[in-house]
Amino acid sequence: MTAKPVKVKITYCAECGYEPQALDLTKALMYEFGARLSAIELIPWESGTFDVSVDGELVHSMKREGGFPELATVKAAVRLRLRSAPAI
Amino acid sequence: MTLDRARWDKGITYDAYKAAMTRNQERFSENESKVVLDPETVRTFNSLPKPLRVLVLAEDWCGDVVANLPILGRLAKEVSTLDVRVFYRDQNLDLMERWLNQGKYQSIPVVVFFDQDFRELGHWIERPASVTERRAAERKKIFAAHPEFGSPDAPVDQLPEDVRAQLQAELQKMRDNTVSFANAEVQRELRELVSKVAV
Repeated sequence: MTAKPVKVKITYCAECGYEPQALDLTKALMYEFGARLSAIELIPWESGTFDVSVDGELVHSMKREGGFPELATVKAAVRLRLRSAPAI
Repeated sequence: MTLDRARWDKGITYDAYKAAMTRNQERFSENESKVVLDPETVRTFNSLPKPLRVLVLAEDWCGDVVANLPILGRLAKEVSTLDVRVFYRDQNLDLMERWLNQGKYQSIPVVVFFDQDFRELGHWIERPASVTERRAAERKKIFAAHPEFGSPDAPVDQLPEDVRAQLQAELQKMRDNTVSFANAEVQRELRELVSKVAV
């Protein structure tokens, strides 16, 4: 039995040039979690946005927390979700 | 950091910057073609007693650069008093540190006017506050008119993809509808800046 894979969404401000940060985070999550993620969705947006949600729960918001997320914070949120996700 | 002739010469001309753009070149050119120069702007800059050097910090991914630098570019072509040099922000962080927005943000474009001896006369950053305020008010109206968009403060990833696309289209329409106002405001601020400092 394995945990249900989780979905990560990264909403980044394309007008602010946040692609490198979005791609770095995506790459790190891909290598760390592989198929334990069901998908990583990248959403180009505006207004200085850099939001990361894990299975619908916002784990980082540039407007809320300020700045870009710590990779460790996002990884911890994904691990927590995997531990609490129902088995399939 | 002092700007001197050697450093100045490392900047590139407006046309060279345009030619070297790897992103948004088409949108940049389109914005440039739509710029309507206010006769008062042209008169103000043409009546400067001496030509000015204009340092610009920019990057081609930045929406405010794509929107506002073409205004300066058109103006510099129209008048004979502006010598523009563009520096890439991320390759010139020492310059960026000198003109941080509110002392902490690396906002661009930065437009700095110098006299011929590299004495700074004044600078302008990013976009007019009046444009930010107007667009924020218009954004609020959009959310008020479309309950399906939810709260303006909610993360957009919570919206269904089709609704998100509709929201994006509405925001783009709003930006398009406020371009004339924004361009006029940029010109007004640049005019006021050089009117205060021109010697």
